[in-house]
Amino acid sequence: MEINFGEEIRILDGAMGTMLQKEGMGTEESTTRFGITHPHILKKIHKKYIEAGSDVIYAATFGINRLKSGELGMPVEEAMKRAVGAATEAAEEAFEKNGRRVFTALDIGPLGELLEPMGTLTFEEAYDVFREMVLLGEKYGTDMAVIETMTDLYEVRAAVLAVKENSDMPVMVSMTFEENGRTFTGVSLEAMAITAEALGVDAVGINCSLGPSEILPMAEKLKSLTSLPVFAKPNAGLPDPSTGQYDITAEMFAGEMAKYLEAGVDIIGGCCGTTEEYIKLMAEKMEVLDGGRREKKSGYTSREKSRGLRVCSGSAVVKADHVAVIGERINPTGKKRLKQALLDEDFDYIMAQAIEQADAGAEILDVNVGVPGVDDVKLLPAVVKKLQSVTDLPLQIDSSNPQAIEAALRVYNGKPIVNSVNGEDSVMEDILPIVKKYGAAVIGLTLDDKGIPDSAEGRVAIAERILKKAREAGLPEEDVIIDCLALTASAQQKEVNETLKAIRLVKEKLGLKTALGVSNISFGLPARNLINRTFFTMAMECGLDLPIINPNDEDMMASLAAFNVLKNIDKNAVKYIDRYGADETEPEKGKAPSGIYGGNPHEDIFYFIEKGMKAETAEAVEKLLESHEELETVNNFLIPALDNVGKGFERGTIFLPQMLQAASAAQGGFDVIKASLSAGEREAVSLGRVALATVKGDIHDIGKNIVKVIMENYG
Amino acid sequence: MNIEVREKLSRDKWLAALGFKGKADKDLEERLSRCEADLLAAARPKGIYRIMKRDDVRTEGLSVKRHLEGCDQVAVMAVTLGIGVDNLIRKAQVTDMLTAVILDTGASVMIEQACDAFEDEIKKNTEKFTTSRFSPGYGDFPIEVQADMVRYVDGQRKIGLNVTGSSLMIPRKSVTAVIGLSEHPVKGRLASCNECVLRDKCILRKEGRFCGD
Repeated sequence: MEINFGEEIRILDGAMGTMLQKEGMGTEESTTRFGITHPHILKKIHKKYIEAGSDVIYAATFGINRLKSGELGMPVEEAMKRAVGAATEAAEEAFEKNGRRVFTALDIGPLGELLEPMGTLTFEEAYDVFREMVLLGEKYGTDMAVIETMTDLYEVRAAVLAVKENSDMPVMVSMTFEENGRTFTGVSLEAMAITAEALGVDAVGINCSLGPSEILPMAEKLKSLTSLPVFAKPNAGLPDPSTGQYDITAEMFAGEMAKYLEAGVDIIGGCCGTTEEYIKLMAEKMEVLDGGRREKKSGYTSREKSRGLRVCSGSAVVKADHVAVIGERINPTGKKRLKQALLDEDFDYIMAQAIEQADAGAEILDVNVGVPGVDDVKLLPAVVKKLQSVTDLPLQIDSSNPQAIEAALRVYNGKPIVNSVNGEDSVMEDILPIVKKYGAAVIGLTLDDKGIPDSAEGRVAIAERILKKAREAGLPEEDVIIDCLALTASAQQKEVNETLKAIRLVKEKLGLKTALGVSNISFGLPARNLINRTFFTMAMECGLDLPIINPNDEDMMASLAAFNVLKNIDKNAVKYIDRYGADETEPEKGKAPSGIYGGNPHEDIFYFIEKGMKAETAEAVEKLLESHEELETVNNFLIPALDNVGKGFERGTIFLPQMLQAASAAQGGFDVIKASLSAGEREAVSLGRVALATVKGDIHDIGKNIVKVIMENYG
Repeated sequence: MNIEVREKLSRDKWLAALGFKGKADKDLEERLSRCEADLLAAARPKGIYRIMKRDDVRTEGLSVKRHLEGCDQVAVMAVTLGIGVDNLIRKAQVTDMLTAVILDTGASVMIEQACDAFEDEIKKNTEKFTTSRFSPGYGDFPIEVQADMVRYVDGQRKIGLNVTGSSLMIPRKSVTAVIGLSEHPVKGRLASCNECVLRDKCILRKEGRFCGD
């Protein structure tokens, strides 16, 4: 169904729970349950809102889902039929009575259980629950869907996909924010706006939690962040904590809501505490204010306005208005340890890589699981889920397999980047529609079936083709990023400059953002770092926006820090001074008193492990490996050192914190052993699997992890 | 509403929760201070309460009924540190289990302090006599009423508090409780060991101590 939001729809309805209480519902009763057992009251309330001027009525389906079946006391379908029926009947009767068209909305509220990683509900389960709601809503006749009162963007994404994949209904999305402009789970207005717009929802807004005066500045901000129609449904002020009564009158509410229209907010309504009186006065105010505005509003020129490339996770937004580093470490090419981790599904190692890169200053993380022998359609989404449980950096999904890309995009929370398409038609036809559907940005490599053009102009021509195809697929221009491809200077020295020139041309001619894998350039040359960082600086000067580099490489990050000073981006060199301004005469920190026993690793390792010194333990193991086999090192040093700690714990001279510290220091040593084993292409010996379990549904797995750490490092 | 945790986290309680006897050495104290700063930055303590009729509140088990004896009303309260603390602890578990355990126990100390502050606030706002707070999971007051408690105060919408199908609260560092209100002086009554479902596993009891001490 086509609905013109902001024109056909200006006024939403008010609260349902408040109205049900006025109709005799007890305060301790479930609103959902009361509604479906009194459908005639629901219908009466909907009619009141229609008479008051609502263009949309929300069916009382907010809490009708499978997860709340205990509260419903009847099958989901029966409950849906009653709640939706009350709304559609009210709308039909209004139409018969005075010819006024009112839309009915399937109201989708939070499921009541949080999704992974915060809670235990999986994305797929949430999707299924929403899907059932959507199918039933449409079956019984709702015109559109409203996803509201959400606090988790991931849940919003599951619900939006459920609506879009299972119905033709337009969909509005509103989330609930605190005074600080974030939801309880940390979603910002901007992350919501970016994700909703990329997913192609029809209107985006704010509802519940606060009153009109608190929400107004947020609604104004939201309006500046999106081209979508914006709506707001505030509460009737703030509730008295002891009684739950809201504190502002219908007149005050209507007066406040008029300011929303003046601020350009497209659609208004009320949430908790509001009644038909509030909506009526608000609608009257609107008529007085802008009775003629409905017609004038058509055209919507702001919809084309570009806000530049923005990507986000569930809680963090990255705008490509500066050089933003994409961390390249989660890509197994040339990394034996990561390869092994992917084969073993050793997610802890991969998550630690993410945290390390974030701490080093990466703003986006590339994720590639391409190892022969792994099922990337399964592994890529699994890794994405794990990563978003420990980092809020946006991710770059890196694969050439469209099925793996789709599986990963599906479970991603926010708006990611897809790496990549190229100038080949078949590749673009496979991947661009998925990028559009799941609301991502995309990197286009300037190569096609004929290879990489030598000249800058040839590469720009491919970039133009990619842009055209992306536009045809429905992607906005700003979401197309071009990688002009760095070749190795040792083999193709004269083309280095073509890459730089191409970056400049793509920026100037096409106005697109550019990405580049930088470190290829030095392959085969000595002193690679020197070449890398020099080329990196040259590329930034040509306009490189998104370097794909190793953020743990201090040289590269230093070049970036210096570049930001010299280009007047790091104002007053604040960040630079923060990074390098420390007194250089200060002694080096973090260095252990090298060997309390005199620098002999045979003895030091016992001390290091007991004192929980991880880096020093690793170093000592490295030294031991020079003269001992891996197994010998484990049996003669690591295990006995841990035994000492264990004995101390039994005697009561060492406590849990120290024991954990010792285990984690030993882990540093075991990591060196593992790396040494995989470098020698020898298999680590597995003694079989150990299962650890927790209470059903417990995400509070810290106890389990304590056991795991001890077992992993205690042999 | 937002709750301010004004005092520093009690070191005694924190060390006790870590199973530590005696004072922290310099190393551990430094860690505690760092973790305390991280916890304060990550937490957004919030509370919500509602005064209800005694009979409208679902109470099961002998211990809570005794606790509320003589009360005609009940303040149902819910407090949470917010999801930021869960995220912090989850992340720490990947990089450093020791820090994770210290954060986890520190957050437990913090939620108790937040509850104390909020309980004071509730008591300040009533003329009536009050009992102390009594939570699901204590004594034989079953944890299964958690979902009802959260629903009474509209905890999901008001403070972002959710309950899983296994009656666990998310954010994890959250507490619900009932406080009895009466026109006459009431003392409430702590659960006895005989009523307590944790009777057989309780370490305190084995050591001849009592959790109410």
